[in-house]
Amino acid sequence: MYKVTFKFEDGSQVENYATEGETLLELAQKSNVVIDAPCSGNASCGKCKIKLLEGQMESKKTRHITDDEFDQGWRLACISELTNDVEVLVPDIASAFKSRMKVADLSSKDEIQIFQQTKESIEFAGIDLHNSLDVVEVMMDPPSLDDTMPDNERLARALRKYMNLKTVRFPYSVLLKMPDVLRESDFTVKCVIRTTPDDMFVYDIFPKDYDVVIGGLAIDIGTTTVSALIINMETGEILAKASSGNGQIRYGADVINRIIESQKPGGQLRLQKAVIEETINPMVEQMCSSIGFSKKQIYRMCIASNTTMNHLFAGINADPLRMEPYIPAFFKTNSLFASDLGIDVNPDAHIIVAPNIGSYVGGDITAGTFVSMIWNKPEFSLFIDLGTNGELVFGNSDFLMSCACSAGPAFEGGDISCGMRATDGAIEACTIDKETMEPTCIIVGGEGEKPIGLCGSGIIDVISELYLAGIIDPKGKFIREGKRIKRDEYGTGSYVLAFEEEAGSVKDVEITEVDIDNFIRAKGAIFSAIQTMLVSLDFDVSMIDNVYVAGGIGSGINMQNAVNIGMFPDIPQEKFHYVGNSSLSGSYAMLLSTESERKVYEIAQNMTYMELSTVPSYMDEFIGACFLPHTDINLFPSVKARME
Amino acid sequence: MPFNQKPQKFSAKINTVTIGTGDKAISLGGESVLPFYTFDGDIENAPKVGVEITDNGIDDSLPGIKAFYDGCASVADMAKKASQMEGADFVVLTLVGGDPNGDNKSVEDLVAIVKEVVAAVDCPLVVKGCSNVEKDAALLPKVAEACQGTNALIMSAKEENYKAVGASVGLAYDLNMGAESAVDINLAKQLNVISTQLGVKADRIAMDVGTAAVGYGYEYVVSAMDRIRGAALSQDDATLQMPIITPVANDSWNVKEAVASEEDFPEWGPREERGIGMEIMTAASDLVSGSNAVILRHPQSVATIAKMVKELV
Repeated sequence: MYKVTFKFEDGSQVENYATEGETLLELAQKSNVVIDAPCSGNASCGKCKIKLLEGQMESKKTRHITDDEFDQGWRLACISELTNDVEVLVPDIASAFKSRMKVADLSSKDEIQIFQQTKESIEFAGIDLHNSLDVVEVMMDPPSLDDTMPDNERLARALRKYMNLKTVRFPYSVLLKMPDVLRESDFTVKCVIRTTPDDMFVYDIFPKDYDVVIGGLAIDIGTTTVSALIINMETGEILAKASSGNGQIRYGADVINRIIESQKPGGQLRLQKAVIEETINPMVEQMCSSIGFSKKQIYRMCIASNTTMNHLFAGINADPLRMEPYIPAFFKTNSLFASDLGIDVNPDAHIIVAPNIGSYVGGDITAGTFVSMIWNKPEFSLFIDLGTNGELVFGNSDFLMSCACSAGPAFEGGDISCGMRATDGAIEACTIDKETMEPTCIIVGGEGEKPIGLCGSGIIDVISELYLAGIIDPKGKFIREGKRIKRDEYGTGSYVLAFEEEAGSVKDVEITEVDIDNFIRAKGAIFSAIQTMLVSLDFDVSMIDNVYVAGGIGSGINMQNAVNIGMFPDIPQEKFHYVGNSSLSGSYAMLLSTESERKVYEIAQNMTYMELSTVPSYMDEFIGACFLPHTDINLFPSVKARME
Repeated sequence: MPFNQKPQKFSAKINTVTIGTGDKAISLGGESVLPFYTFDGDIENAPKVGVEITDNGIDDSLPGIKAFYDGCASVADMAKKASQMEGADFVVLTLVGGDPNGDNKSVEDLVAIVKEVVAAVDCPLVVKGCSNVEKDAALLPKVAEACQGTNALIMSAKEENYKAVGASVGLAYDLNMGAESAVDINLAKQLNVISTQLGVKADRIAMDVGTAAVGYGYEYVVSAMDRIRGAALSQDDATLQMPIITPVANDSWNVKEAVASEEDFPEWGPREERGIGMEIMTAASDLVSGSNAVILRHPQSVATIAKMVKELV
């Protein structure tokens, strides 16, 4: 047994004991010390850098660590075997992705506006906004020695009479409260009920004077970020909103690594716990306490997520998803209840799951497609969800076609040496002076925040600016020299956005040729998927009337820059719309409106899925798109004009 | 019904790249018809055949080659002899010995050999690198310096080192540059785009888009060359109108059919004959797929392909 002390930059520390041969990363995961390991501990991403303060570890030097850094004690946690007592420093950057859970301030209209718009557009489409949950007030005759009917039959009789129904069902939680509540309010109570044409389910009872709010919980489980809303199910009002990093992230950055992790002994349970107990429950807790709301008054919830995430959330084996012929356990399911999964809301709350279409196109897309309203428009629209998997939906009111491409984690900062999510310290926008090559950056967190890394929208800006300033060539290689251009011992160039002394981290914030190459491949995957899908329909980009861009890449995404680097088709700027987290607003719509829920099922059923790996020309399109902006410059006339 | 021939006319044409100086200079490209489609229009410059020698001297494992270069004391002697080979239009010196994973000869030693060869031959000269991108980035600029005034073609400029190679070959010494990519139309085009953006003139670039020996995934080669030619002629894509030069020898002499000894496979017959067969079949296929020049090793292959070209054009 070796004693390991993890020290943090804020002065706190965690101690634990390791067995022989255990790696530092494994021990950190056991000890709840958060160290980013998007590659799942394969020594390929270089994100789990920690600094050895005392003692020795069995560790190899990799390309992620320079000689100087190695001498200073920097190691990769995933390949550092513990053989002695050690003390290590976990720098902020290793946990920069960490779920700084944020409960949103709803006093500004911005946070709610998008859901207001969702509601309006649903109503505009002629869809009813109601659901099957209701509050009713019931009056009963108090029992007496002549009227000895038990409480539950008394309430059932009153409800039956009131609603003219055959069956009324009470769960245990209601039975438990019943004698007290009935007597406390003289046998006049309020019930939270769900009615179907011939059946009623009673979720809760309250004294008659109580102001009952029916709560609902809408969640978007992203591979990287989880966002949630608590809403009033009667009015659609947003009561609270929060977002947090997905607790599963330390088990791998992308769905494939997560599935692999879930196959290790106890893995399925570990991943389910990470998303429910460590992510969703604390969010619900925080949201409820911020508004003084009872968790038990959340009677229904809706989950929108990709197929892997909803399988892991439900604790269902996701392994078949990653292997031919890629079959999920379910597309749509009605079998999930809060108590089954240990979600800390009303135990009888039913969980609506936005339907999947395939193993790589999930409920986040069907829900997002619904709120984008592209299914209700005669003109052609393209819906793009930029995530670890890029998903596309193209079509109009007559047909919808979808495909998924593997963009990798680059849009959310993965695979990029200084990449990070759009949290405090991330450079989210940037311009670079053509002459002096000096950058001007906008940083998440506002005034005074020091840059730590780059998020997706920042990377798009930096690459576009570097290219237009002639600092990199169309292959992403540096062709100018200057103060901000560095070269390593192998001649690989990089551009420094913030030198160590200006940065909020222990090293320069920079973008390297390798980063640019990774990002070019990610954008190439998106553009070639768009191109392949359009070509298969014999369309070209001029047929697209609107492009709706969703995803956590950062709301500040500069569409012109995204066109400059050849990520999006070269069509007029006014056709692009950023729709924010459409998965969450779709989840909100399905929760609030039963007719919307049905519509999403219908959309899922009617959407054609195109498997890009079976299209021979996809690889060609992909290689053609791995260039700035594209090998065929004629596809980007506006960029061509700008370069001349 | 009488047969009406409708010539397939393209308004675009392949660039003409001239290698060498004086009477013996050769031109690649210049046509605006598909390979060997003489019935559609004139083929200004017939495809050319080059002979490959290396800095390692004579390959004495092949009797035919050994006999041909018999008596040559130096690489320069071999070059002279090669330039007189029947059917040869140009000589190619491949600096295989520079490979750090092989003999790792120094830049100075290799440049000395290049200088001797330049002095020895009066035919057009092509120099290929050692296939290691870092070494080539250091080696080829020096080779270019040594080839000043010869109008030689320096091959092996790849995506990874085109800046170093292009700047010296194309800009400083005004020679021809061979842009090497791996059997992919987009990669070939990308390299042409970045090379011309660097300042190398488009009519100074020949493409080496790669090949495979016939039977070894060769359909990719046909498809890539065919589409490159298609884009250049029918879509007038100026970034793909460079002539194609294809090193056939290395690929065809390194497959099992050309390597396995006769002792191991007596039923296959003599090794040299098999290798010649592979080389001829690959070269002929490359030419009809769109190559403007092929690089061969064996005298018999050179003679055969030269004869084929002569009969068809």
